[in-house]
Amino acid sequence: MARTREIKRRIKSIDNTRQITRTMEMVAGAKIRKSQERIENSRPYTTKMMEVLANLSSYVKAGKHPLLEVHEKQERVYVLSITSNRGLCGAFNTNIIRKTESILEREKQAEREVVLSVAGQKGINYFKYRGYELLSEYTEIGDSPKFEDAREIAAKVMEMYINHEVDKVLIIFNHFKSVMDQRPIEYNILPIEKDMTEGEKERVVRDDYIFEPSPEKVLYELLPTYVETLVYRTLMESVASEHGARRTAMKAASDNAVEMIGQLTRTFNRARQAQITQEISEIVGGAEALK
Amino acid sequence: MVDKFVMCEVVTPERILYSGNVKMVVAHGIEGEIGVLPLHAPLVAVLGVGELRLKLDENKYEYVAVHKGYIQVLEDKVIILANFAEFASEIDIKRAKEAKERAVKEIAEVQKEGEDYYKAQIDLEKAENRLRISKRV
Repeated sequence: MARTREIKRRIKSIDNTRQITRTMEMVAGAKIRKSQERIENSRPYTTKMMEVLANLSSYVKAGKHPLLEVHEKQERVYVLSITSNRGLCGAFNTNIIRKTESILEREKQAEREVVLSVAGQKGINYFKYRGYELLSEYTEIGDSPKFEDAREIAAKVMEMYINHEVDKVLIIFNHFKSVMDQRPIEYNILPIEKDMTEGEKERVVRDDYIFEPSPEKVLYELLPTYVETLVYRTLMESVASEHGARRTAMKAASDNAVEMIGQLTRTFNRARQAQITQEISEIVGGAEALK
Repeated sequence: MVDKFVMCEVVTPERILYSGNVKMVVAHGIEGEIGVLPLHAPLVAVLGVGELRLKLDENKYEYVAVHKGYIQVLEDKVIILANFAEFASEIDIKRAKEAKERAVKEIAEVQKEGEDYYKAQIDLEKAENRLRISKRV
């Protein structure tokens, strides 16, 4: 009797968990759609900006701007690793942390100093616990990253880059390949890669543009915004990936719960059957003794 | 006179704010206002904090608050890339007022010059711009 009751309790408890994970799965699913939409919405802005940049680069000699300039000495690297604020999203944060650590190791081998910044509570906790010194911590980025968030991050790295405090800026984030597939990648933010600004070469570049105030000024105004856009994009992709990873993890958890409930129900039935059989044999045994 | 229209798109990193045909675009460039009529020559200009007017039809205007960005005029299209843009009707006046007060306070508090002072001034400019344009509705 005690055994059946215990199994029943476990089934109940697993069923509760299953309900929670199923709900989280559905919530994450809805959020994926929203964050994908947001990425879509930002695409026109990005592509149009690329067009302007491509047009401009034929007027202005690139390389003069401090953000385009490649520093001669490569001594310090700025690494920003983007994790999430919340857990229960599978290997999402672990992947980023592992990737970050391998990059830190790589830079150490190359005898470069690393300045580390982390976005997201999960990563911050980990690196702090491990005794890393973090330059900046960003925890404000929630489910819907604002352009302002990206601007804040970008402003900081650009300032450091221009002041030669760092010679390279990397961002490590989860690239949103698809709903099912997210993988950590590193992305070079600064210096701005030349072929980015040179754009598609086949494009016929118009030469009769009017620039106000001047091509140089326009380019110089545009480059920081370009960096901000890049950062914004990584933030959005990271958020989309987080929801994707969470949905996958929660789906797996729900499936496992269903399977466990099935197994436990079987065990429960068997135990009940065994109990009944035992009771019958006891009665039969008792009756036999009375004869 | 034949009515002429030009395709106009106002794009921010977060969304496409406006897309449609207009008769005229007036943007606030850093060196003064720029008016663009259909068949304007190709142009790229930097925009400051200010107002963007889209003339949809005679006596029908749409007002947009724009904070920094670019205007790009192509042969058949005007593209406004704004870091931030909001229709006059969308502006939260209460929030703008609060932002203005905050900026005024900050300017009084922080040292002259320095980055904070500069930032606060931009914030003030943005808040005032939003308030001004919100009255256009």
